[in-house]
Amino acid sequence: MNASRVHAVLAAGLQDPLLVVRWEEDPQHLLAYGIDPSTVDLIALRKFAGLTAKVRHNGLRHSLPLTFRLLNVAGLEIEVFSAYAAFCAGHGGGYAPTTEERTRNLIAFLDEWLDRGCREHVLLWDLIRHEDALARLAKTPPPRETPVARRLTTSSVLRVCGQLELYEMGSDPRAAGEILRDTRPVLSRIPFGAFRFGYWRPEATDELRIVDLDEFAIAALSLVDGARSVADLSAALAGRRRPSRRFLSLLAQLGEAGMLGT
Amino acid sequence: MRPWVGLAYGPGMRQLVVSNPGLVDYIEVPFEQLRHTPEVAAIQETIPLILHCASLSLAGFLPPSDATIEAVAAEAARTGTPWIGEHLAFFSAEGLDEHGATSTSLTYTVCPQLSEETVERVAENLVRLRPHFRMPLILENSPQYFAIPGSTMNMVDFIRAVARRADNGLLLDLSHFLVTSLNTGVDALEEIARMPLERVVEVHISGLNRQSGIVWDDHATPASPAVFDLLERVLRSARPRAITFEYNWSATFPRATLLEHLSRARRMFAAA
Repeated sequence: MNASRVHAVLAAGLQDPLLVVRWEEDPQHLLAYGIDPSTVDLIALRKFAGLTAKVRHNGLRHSLPLTFRLLNVAGLEIEVFSAYAAFCAGHGGGYAPTTEERTRNLIAFLDEWLDRGCREHVLLWDLIRHEDALARLAKTPPPRETPVARRLTTSSVLRVCGQLELYEMGSDPRAAGEILRDTRPVLSRIPFGAFRFGYWRPEATDELRIVDLDEFAIAALSLVDGARSVADLSAALAGRRRPSRRFLSLLAQLGEAGMLGT
Repeated sequence: MRPWVGLAYGPGMRQLVVSNPGLVDYIEVPFEQLRHTPEVAAIQETIPLILHCASLSLAGFLPPSDATIEAVAAEAARTGTPWIGEHLAFFSAEGLDEHGATSTSLTYTVCPQLSEETVERVAENLVRLRPHFRMPLILENSPQYFAIPGSTMNMVDFIRAVARRADNGLLLDLSHFLVTSLNTGVDALEEIARMPLERVVEVHISGLNRQSGIVWDDHATPASPAVFDLLERVLRSARPRAITFEYNWSATFPRATLLEHLSRARRMFAAA
């Protein structure tokens, strides 16, 4: 087989992994290029495209070290990035120019692609959001100070003090991080369950906190927008404008912690 | 002459060499990085540079542009590199008709067809390219991840044929060599003994990583003991002038391991 033609096929397949998918579906396409389909390992070619996509995302390792460690340890690197390379090829090809955009695009892809029934995929989804949230919040300039709620009434309008991002996860990425730092991490030791976190950068500090939340707290915090009153929040959560004692107590606790202000 | 020990340029390397004078003898910098981020060249004020390159498509059938050749030559002259390490690979090829493109250009190199036709092509490319450079081009073996259609020889036979035909020096990437051996089912130690080791000018070392049924080159993980076994075998019959650790994909590469591997290489050189 003509070497120049072989190189042309390999290069085209690496540049556009969707082309390889087409060749897999109908290997006869390759005959038109003078290539015997039985001599081309198309699956390996797609995987190689995944390696090159992975290398193009090395810049993300700085803010997502544990995510890349997990990809490596769980044997997901090539699987994830070969799927991502094909996805990107189907969306015009190429990758975003900045690390931040590449991270955002990769997370958006994973949100669609990951199998939530697969343990390693759940770990990956939790860990990448964890590290991304920490990286982004660390870059956010401390916002202005908001007065903390002293005494709440039903008409009090609440706002989050600082930057807060809420996540529901199937594992605890802090525990996963500890295990991934081992020389030989045992992923089965990572506890699974329902975890809810607030990734919070309080006002006027460089500190970042990960706050454990319960179902009620995360639901309440997700509604706090600086426009709705306590009565509005109660109506949205419980269907009645008069807040329950439990709800008021929760808001008071969050206020005392400095997370909510008026 | 004492062999040099160096590091491939990557995140954190500038800080490392500035704060640890004498730790390494040089930094190996890709031409492509100098071309796109010229400020990287400032590291030369601290430490000598060796130029690496992935733009000449030595085993390819489409020549690089004159502008690229001139730019490589200019960087080589400016850095004062003693040689230019270039991949025995291709990064561009003819376009496929259905794409309507006249060529396909990648941003990385690909293992070529291992055949007499490619051997001849490499030799022709070298004849054409050498006059542009004041220093030698040395050829780096590719990692082979799968069988290349139409190949008529294995990697070692291909390198032997190229080295003989083109009478050229080699950059022996031991991790690529081990990756290729594992993926093609040959014994790496037996194969390395068949290499024209007397032509080896520089050695590359990095990690490797088995994922999805294939062994891959990996500059984010430390070299395995098998890579050091190969280095030991090379040093029994060759005196490379330099050894470069390519631990340049991750800013979080374990520093203690990097330091241990540098000193291990110096010890191995001293004992050889």
